[in-house]
Amino acid sequence: MEKLKTLSDFKELKERLDAGREPDRPTIIIPAGTCGQASGANDLIRAAKREIIARELSEKVRLVITGCHGFCQMEPSVLVEPARTFYPRVDTKGMARIVEAVAQGKVVEELLFLDPATGKRIEKQDDMPFFKKQARTILARSERVDPIRLYHYFESGGYSSLVKVLEKGNRAWVIEEIKASGLRGRGGAGFPTGLKWELLAKQTNGKGKFLVCNADEGDPGAYMDRSVLEGNPHSIIEGMIIGAYGTGATEGVVYVRTEYPLAIKHLRIALRQAREFGLLGENILGSGFSFDIQLVKGAGAFVCGEETALMRSVEGKMGEPRQRPPFPTERGIQGKPTAINNVETWANVPIIFTEGAKAFAKVGTKGNSGTKIFSLVGKVQNTGLVEVPMGITIGEIVQEIGAGPSGKAPIKAVQTGGPSGGCIPAAKFSLPIDYESLTQAGSIMGSGGMIVMDERTCMVDVAKYFTNFLKDESCGKCFTCRKGTQRMWEILDDISRGKGTLAHLDLLQELGEVVKDTTMCQLGQTAPNPVLSTLKYFRDEYLEHIQKKRCPAGVCKDLILYSISQKCTGCLACIKSCPSEAITGKAKEVHVIDAKKCIKCGACLAVCKYDAVVVT
Amino acid sequence: MIKLTINGLEVSVEKGTTLLEAAQFLGFPIPTLCHMEGLSPYGACRLCVVEIGEGPRAKLVSSCTYPVEEGLKVRTASSRVVRARKMVLELLLASCPQSKVIQDLASAHEVRQQRFRQEHEDCILCGLCVRMCEEQMMAKAIGFRGRGKNRSLGTPFDIKSEVCRLCGGCIYVCPACQLRCTYTDPEKAICGGCANLSPPCLEKEKFDDMMCYMAPCVACEIKKD
Amino acid sequence: MMKPFVLVEGGLKKYRGLCSTCDNSITCTFPRDPNLPVMECEEFQGETISPEVTMSIVEKHEDEQGKLISILEDMQTRYGYLPESALKVVAEGTGQSLVDVYGVATFYKAFSLKPRGKHLISACLGTACHVRNAPRVVEEFERQLRLKPGEMTPDKQFTLETVNCLGACALGPIVVVDGHYFSQVDTPQVKRIIQRAKSGLDKTDVKADEKIFPVKVRCPHCNRSLMDSSHPLDGNPSIRVTASFGTAHGALWLSSLYGSYTVESEDEIPRDTVLNFFCPHCHAELLGAANCVECGAPMIPMIVKEGGMVKICSRQGCKGHLLDLEGVNW
Repeated sequence: MEKLKTLSDFKELKERLDAGREPDRPTIIIPAGTCGQASGANDLIRAAKREIIARELSEKVRLVITGCHGFCQMEPSVLVEPARTFYPRVDTKGMARIVEAVAQGKVVEELLFLDPATGKRIEKQDDMPFFKKQARTILARSERVDPIRLYHYFESGGYSSLVKVLEKGNRAWVIEEIKASGLRGRGGAGFPTGLKWELLAKQTNGKGKFLVCNADEGDPGAYMDRSVLEGNPHSIIEGMIIGAYGTGATEGVVYVRTEYPLAIKHLRIALRQAREFGLLGENILGSGFSFDIQLVKGAGAFVCGEETALMRSVEGKMGEPRQRPPFPTERGIQGKPTAINNVETWANVPIIFTEGAKAFAKVGTKGNSGTKIFSLVGKVQNTGLVEVPMGITIGEIVQEIGAGPSGKAPIKAVQTGGPSGGCIPAAKFSLPIDYESLTQAGSIMGSGGMIVMDERTCMVDVAKYFTNFLKDESCGKCFTCRKGTQRMWEILDDISRGKGTLAHLDLLQELGEVVKDTTMCQLGQTAPNPVLSTLKYFRDEYLEHIQKKRCPAGVCKDLILYSISQKCTGCLACIKSCPSEAITGKAKEVHVIDAKKCIKCGACLAVCKYDAVVVT
Repeated sequence: MIKLTINGLEVSVEKGTTLLEAAQFLGFPIPTLCHMEGLSPYGACRLCVVEIGEGPRAKLVSSCTYPVEEGLKVRTASSRVVRARKMVLELLLASCPQSKVIQDLASAHEVRQQRFRQEHEDCILCGLCVRMCEEQMMAKAIGFRGRGKNRSLGTPFDIKSEVCRLCGGCIYVCPACQLRCTYTDPEKAICGGCANLSPPCLEKEKFDDMMCYMAPCVACEIKKD
Repeated sequence: MMKPFVLVEGGLKKYRGLCSTCDNSITCTFPRDPNLPVMECEEFQGETISPEVTMSIVEKHEDEQGKLISILEDMQTRYGYLPESALKVVAEGTGQSLVDVYGVATFYKAFSLKPRGKHLISACLGTACHVRNAPRVVEEFERQLRLKPGEMTPDKQFTLETVNCLGACALGPIVVVDGHYFSQVDTPQVKRIIQRAKSGLDKTDVKADEKIFPVKVRCPHCNRSLMDSSHPLDGNPSIRVTASFGTAHGALWLSSLYGSYTVESEDEIPRDTVLNFFCPHCHAELLGAANCVECGAPMIPMIVKEGGMVKICSRQGCKGHLLDLEGVNW
């Protein structure tokens, strides 16, 4: 393919593509991001290709393989356009039937999604309760493009925002539009993006400026950035080129964590394609402005998601944060001014220029415009990625989009913001989701992880888990962060083993507050959040562990007992699965667990079909 | 020149001065552990924190690394600062009780007990030895490695360094083993004996014999048990 | 019983001594004497650890930003871990102090300074997986393999490690073995996963696997069929092309089963060689515009009779391939 040397080259190509489009041609879309591949989407793709070739349908039916759409637990799923038919959890035989049906313009009733609430089958994706309340501005684009085919991106309007910006030729206008849109950093802190770009644009030392895309999504439980990187890498590239034009940046870096191999692969391909087409490099589309992006891989360090640590990691050093001021926009990578934005922030940039800043600002609430992608996981029925307008309440997400609890136990709390965030109890589910109200409630918006917890989740265990995570991921430079997280974990461990005292609670509170005050970077400053928020809202659980030496949720190993109830039918299944041979019993007799040998691994609970294993 | 207010007093200093230097210029005492004149500031011990700003946006920062800003309002002994310092000292005592420097600091701030599980580490990872070796001795024989609780200090691969010149500077600046080399005569603080020493954090077994005629260091005493 | 080891530096002298790296191996039980020169146990050399190979990796990343991390990552892929001697070469080659290189190598969790087993088992301990009982799964792995995370089995087959979130949270608990993802793992499945890993996860049963099906291809230049029924492979007519490398050239037969990597050639072709492909009828070179995403070698296009295009990687041994039904290749 030839390089696009001018704006008119691009427009000609777009016209040619538009002329060849067939919007009514039936298209089978299979999401094959990491989740999809892990659940077997590759088998479906082969089956689909095999069927299409065998039936000689390659002219009639189109097959598009995309990244994540978001309804991960229903994968491998199939979406049929333009009818928007959705088929969940398809297997290879089902795939063959679907191909046949699509060729004939029909629908396979038995394979459609069955709504557990109504008992009825739903044909169109947009009618499903999971998708109904979403505002899928970014994710909808992932549905239409094959991430490694640039022409798909062109066809669906990709790079038109860049052309618009270059045609207008006014760098200051770019920054004004971003400011007017009200876009705030989606990485967690919510700093106004327009302001950050303005600060970068003001720097004029002539040695070059950096733009960084922070794709080190370290929050466990959050994977929105992964889905955008895998599903639509060109949107990030386009956003960064527009940003570079507006701020005068000369070099770009995408810092991706090494645990996302598919995202890295797709980004590499996308960057290569963009360079081949002249969208990156010297004299982009004849505008006179040059910019290129380099991919830098992370190496397994959560702390490198922090701005200053990220910059040090890009420079090839140990990822230790440093004090700010000076801020990255003053002195960043190699001492040059640097602006760092999250993947989702960059993905919003082309959208702002396509729709216009005013239209973008209309979505959401005052001071919190646009949409946010959350990863809704945990003890909720519908888990996956949801994109909602800012200002929607937590309850709407959990109860309507998520369709309520996945087990019998009711939902107790929601954890937002990853290890830097806190837990919000069910009583506060009418809170709207925006930066300010979440911070006031003791948590943070964070990168978008939303973990739903039910009555069988122990909050002390949750606090211990996050503190353990932070203890391992702390860089160790600040004494209070390193020792503070360690000591907090020791106290929580004691409490979870029934060795806690009331004095421990006060000590935990004081220690948490001091760690929050004295550490240098945000990892340490937000590390006590899980502890402090659970102490605030779930103090009764702590007291139960301390005073009654009981774990009400049945999680903390030293305080629980596994036993078998009278529901046992004597099927011997648990005896076979027990790794420590703690269960005895004959066929058709109620089995018995020897508490001294039981290691509480949960294997018997997993295999018992009669609900006879009881945890107290 | 930059004007700022410390504890209500106005002071005018050059750009690039740190809050610590400005406060010391005015005579306000701020405890430090990982700071030393002549070495670059590091900000690891968090003892030198001071409160800046006002109202809900007030926060604590380490004064040894924070540069002065125009119109900044600084308080070196507010209740938040004092509480933080006491907790930091408690944590220090809980990890490294044998260091006289830490003991002195603790009693100066009226910290007499610590409420955590007692550990006996002989390194608080303040980084003074690393900076000494790199900046003053230009050798860069020791450095940090690892992360979090596995963070430690030493030569790469824990083998004898080819660039170490056995100057003893690292032992000299270490707060955890401050009074180790005190022979009866203060001028002979680094005597011929320890010129053969490599840093104590490496060769703990050999250290015993070397110290037989010097005032024993508590760290080694505890290690022997 | 001590085994004699090979001294890497200064020649090939056999030397009785101490292995600097495999201190959890049954053969090396002695602590390291820092006064002896660097030695590495020859058993662990995935690829022979040599200063030349290390320097070639260093030079490859010459112009990059923050190249140290990329260099170490490449080294980890080639050698399986970061050997002491190689790290010293990196320090010299990049001009950075050994202290800095060692600090970076120990700071990041993705790097290992100890050799790793043949199969790497990564268990995710992210929040979503944690809430679904992932810690119990990890404990089961620990029990079955008799080791703790970060360690390697004595027979050098398995290394267990825990990862903080792989990003497939809706399908937790997740365990990745040799690049294969296992979802919703519970304690009873652990044994099966270990068994499957032992017998090889990449093996495909060509006859039984539904994913594998035959294609008929043509040359994109002259449109003549490339199928050769006189030389069947995997029970189907094979695809015949002419391949060349250096001055050698000869016929090459590829399995027409999409998903099978069976290849036969007239002459022996060393692994990793990039070949040039030609149509046996019109002799035009089969060359596409795209490069293999796995290894960077050029992809070779062939038209599928029923519509679409098949592309295979031109590097011997690389499994990069693509079946494109649209016919547009960008």
